[in-house]
Formats: sequence, C-alpha cells, structure tokens
Amino acid sequence: MQFPGLDGEIVMGAITHGLLARMLRGAAAEVRENHEWLSRLDSVGGDGDHGTTMVRAMSRMEQALEADVSGKIPALLNDVGWAILGVDGGAIGPLLGMFFVSMAEGAEGLEALDVGDLAAAFEAGLAGVRAQTKAQPGDKTLVDALVPAVEALRAAAESGKEILEALHLAAEAAEAGAELTSTLQARFGRARNIKEQSIGTRDPGATSIALLFRGFEKGVEPHA
Amino acid sequence: MAMKKLINDPANLVKELLAGFALAHGDKVSLTGSDLVVRAQAKSPDKVALVTLGGSGHEPALSGFVGEGMLDISVPGEIFAAPGPPRVLEALRLAKRDAGILFIVLNHAGDVLSAKVAMDLAAKEGILLRRVLTHEDMSGGPRGDGDDRRGLSGCLPVIKVAGAAAEQGRSLEACAEIAERMEAGMATLAVAVSGATHPCTGDVIAEIPDGMMVVGMGQHGEAGGGTQPLKTADATAEIMLDALLEDIHARPGEDLFVMLNGVGSTTLMELYLVLQRVKDLLETRGITLARSLVGEFLTVQEMGGFQMCVGRLDKELKALWDAPCSSPVWTVK
Repeated sequence: MQFPGLDGEIVMGAITHGLLARMLRGAAAEVRENHEWLSRLDSVGGDGDHGTTMVRAMSRMEQALEADVSGKIPALLNDVGWAILGVDGGAIGPLLGMFFVSMAEGAEGLEALDVGDLAAAFEAGLAGVRAQTKAQPGDKTLVDALVPAVEALRAAAESGKEILEALHLAAEAAEAGAELTSTLQARFGRARNIKEQSIGTRDPGATSIALLFRGFEKGVEPHA
Repeated sequence: MAMKKLINDPANLVKELLAGFALAHGDKVSLTGSDLVVRAQAKSPDKVALVTLGGSGHEPALSGFVGEGMLDISVPGEIFAAPGPPRVLEALRLAKRDAGILFIVLNHAGDVLSAKVAMDLAAKEGILLRRVLTHEDMSGGPRGDGDDRRGLSGCLPVIKVAGAAAEQGRSLEACAEIAERMEAGMATLAVAVSGATHPCTGDVIAEIPDGMMVVGMGQHGEAGGGTQPLKTADATAEIMLDALLEDIHARPGEDLFVMLNGVGSTTLMELYLVLQRVKDLLETRGITLARSLVGEFLTVQEMGGFQMCVGRLDKELKALWDAPCSSPVWTVK
C-alpha cells in the first residue's frame, strides 16, 4: 500500500493500522464538530444529551488511539470498542462499542484490510450491533444508517472500487439512510414515547453513524 | 424552575455520593476500587449471588438494596445513565460462582442493553447467570407487552424475596422462579405533583403545571401520562389503587402487599395518609393488606409524588418477605 504522495495522488490498496487510526480520528473530529446538532436532534424525543455522549465516546476512542502500541488492526479496534463500551448512559455506548469489538473479531489475524476485508470487518461490526438490539431497518434507529453504509461498502468491494471510493459510497449511503429517518416514526428507545411527534426529525443515532462514516472518509482523504 | 442543590463539582458528583453512601452504611456495604457497591460481609460462595445495575441520582436505589439477604453487588452508573458493560462485566466476574448469579435488570433501554452486552461477554467466560427483568410500570403499555413497561421501584420487593431465597441456599432456578413469580404478580403506578432538575446540568427533567398532577409518569418524567387537577390523598389513592388492582386482576380473598415509594419531595406524612386510605379501600373489596412498605427507596431527585406498587403475596413469598435481611433501606432481624 502507498501513502498519499506529496502531489496528492492517492493509490490505496489497503487500510493499514496507520490509516485505520486516521479513519477513527477523522470520525472523532466529524462528531465533535457536529455534537450540538446531535443534541438538538435528541432533545425532540430524548433527553438532549446524545451529542455530549458521543463526544465522550469519541474522547475515549482517542485515548485508546493514543495508548495503542500494538500496531495491529484487531487490537486497535478491540481497544477502541472497549473504551466506548465504558461510556455510561444511553444505547450508543454499548452499540457502538460492540460495533468496534465485533469489527475486531472480523479483522482477526489481518495486518491490513483490502476493500473486501474492510467490507467483511464492517459486516462483522454490523452483526455485532444487531445481536444486541431488536431494532430493524425502519424503526428509526442507528440501524437505518448502518445497514445501508455496510451494504454500500460491500457492493463497492464486489464491483472492484478502490478504498477511498468505497468509503465515499458508504458515507453517502449512511447519510441517505440517516436523512430518511426523518420520515419515520420512532419505535425504539425513549423517542417512541412521543410517537408521531418524532416524524420530521432525523434520528440522532443514525445521524451519528452518518457522521462517523463521513469522518472515516475524510480521515483517509489525501488532504486529511 | 431554577435548580437549588448543595453539590460540589458536577463531574465528581457520583464518586462523592458513593463515597458518602458507603461511609454512612459502612456496617452493611463497601465500595470497590471501581465503584461497585458490595456487601460489607461477602455471602458464602455456595449461595446464589444477586447483582443489579442502574444509573445514579435515584438514591438510596439501587445500592441501598445491597446487604445480607438482598443484593450482593450493585453497579451504579452516572446520573440517570446506565453503567457501561465493562463495569457490569467486572461485577459479574466478581460474583462468579458455581451456584450462579441472579441478575436483576430494570427495564430501561440503557440498562437492558448494557446488561445484554455484559451477559454475552460473561457467557464466553463461563459465568453462570439468569437474568430477571423487572417491568411493572403499568403506564408503559398493556400487560404482556413487557418491552413497553419499565422497571420502577417494584425491583425492591423482587430483590427482597429473591435475596432471601438465595440466603436460604436455594438454587439459581428456584431464586429466579421466585423473583419472576413476585414480578408477574405486581404492578406499579406513579404520580408526580412537582418536577425535578438534573443535578449536573440543572436541566428540568420533568415539569408539572401549577395545580396539576400527572398519573403515570416514569422514573425520568418520560412522556405519556394523565395530567389532571391535583386531588386529595384519598382521591389519589383511589385512582391509583383501582388501576393497579385491575391491572393485576386482584380478586376478593387475596393477600397483597402495597409499597409506597416517595420519589423525592413528597412527605412521609402524605404517604401515611395514602396508605391508610389504601387499606380501607382494599377492605371494602375483600382484599387483605398483608404487608406494607412506606418510605423513599427509589427517588428522582426533588420530584414530588410517589410510586404505588401492589402485588400478590402467597405463603412462600410472605415468608421470604419476612426473612432476615440487613441493607441500608430494609432490615429485618
């Protein structure tokens, strides 16, 4: 694999440990930049602290990144997952934590992830999330952004796209999925208590997933 | 509503409250390095252990239920926030034993999820446990629709009888059956007369209009309840008891317990009035008030109001209710 050259050209065959760290830092930056929006979205059906919780999760992720000396992708993902699992409160800590812990299992033994490996790792992450929640697509949860993002990544891998393009397509799919949640009625979490009043507002969890994927893409972009 | 609370650094609030709690009840509980609340004298390892988890800000719950004949470990989270799975897993590891762990989980999304992740990870380590979900808040949805009914103060009587069974050396299966029997026969309804604020942020977490009360509010003031003009203690008792008796299908000749749990700023004076009326109303229906429990067990900061929990007591559950225990909130000699 080659790192982006000084001329900005990117030839990326695989996600290395270093690039994965950049993806994760990109995600943290994207969430931090938008945390007030996330809390505003959460104040409609929840207690308005989703942005704060996400920032706590991202800070823990960054601490795990700082502390990582393994140089190994599965170890880094596992440490990040456990760090996020340790965030008290709400559903996002356990779900996002299990996403990364399960991704680590999906990347077991790999030194670098090509597009197919990356898709497989994300699929393992998605399966880890879905093992923990009964939420189905259409229930106005983070599943509505995560499922299309992972499917887009897999489709990109199948059609031979390179990694940056694949991450771009995943980010677009996550955003489209998150945007679509504004048309849905909440059936999970505290927001279900307000029933049809939840229509018209994006789900904060799905929006966070869209921000993470946007951040993954930005993290590996040449100018990042 | 401006917040008026005597606190220090909000970021350090939970640590400080737990340290003070452990100090106040040092004969019954102690605090581990990672802020798990455990019994001062550990239970014999050949007996089933009881573990629970839940957010802070509801003192004395849930750590006040730790002690001989009740819980072995509670995992307190941040204010109104479920503890993350790593600390829950740590508690399960600490409680690990051949007799097994009865894991009591109140039905709140964060608690259920954190518990599930911890249980999945614990299963990989060969930790034997049974989960019992408490979901007796009848305002959440119709009976049988367990997902929508949240766990309120009804966890206390469940922990009491299951804890007593564990102390007697009963098996994990038997303890779980007792907990589930107690839980299935009970229902809780809450009434709120005044709101509360989040101690860290000062945010209003529930607001009740002047002169009004809300029947059917949850632990954190979640939406979904009946707002109506404030009534007398007698009238409020009647509205709530009628709904609860219907929910559990109580019949003449039965023995019930009634627990009145003040949620913060409602006085014991008021709760005693309610209890008196509850007893009279039960009598007119041919139902016996077999046991009662009045006090502050699971609070929501300075919220005004109370939770009424009503449940069936058979002979065995009565004996377990009366069995010795020693915890900060409940002691039977």
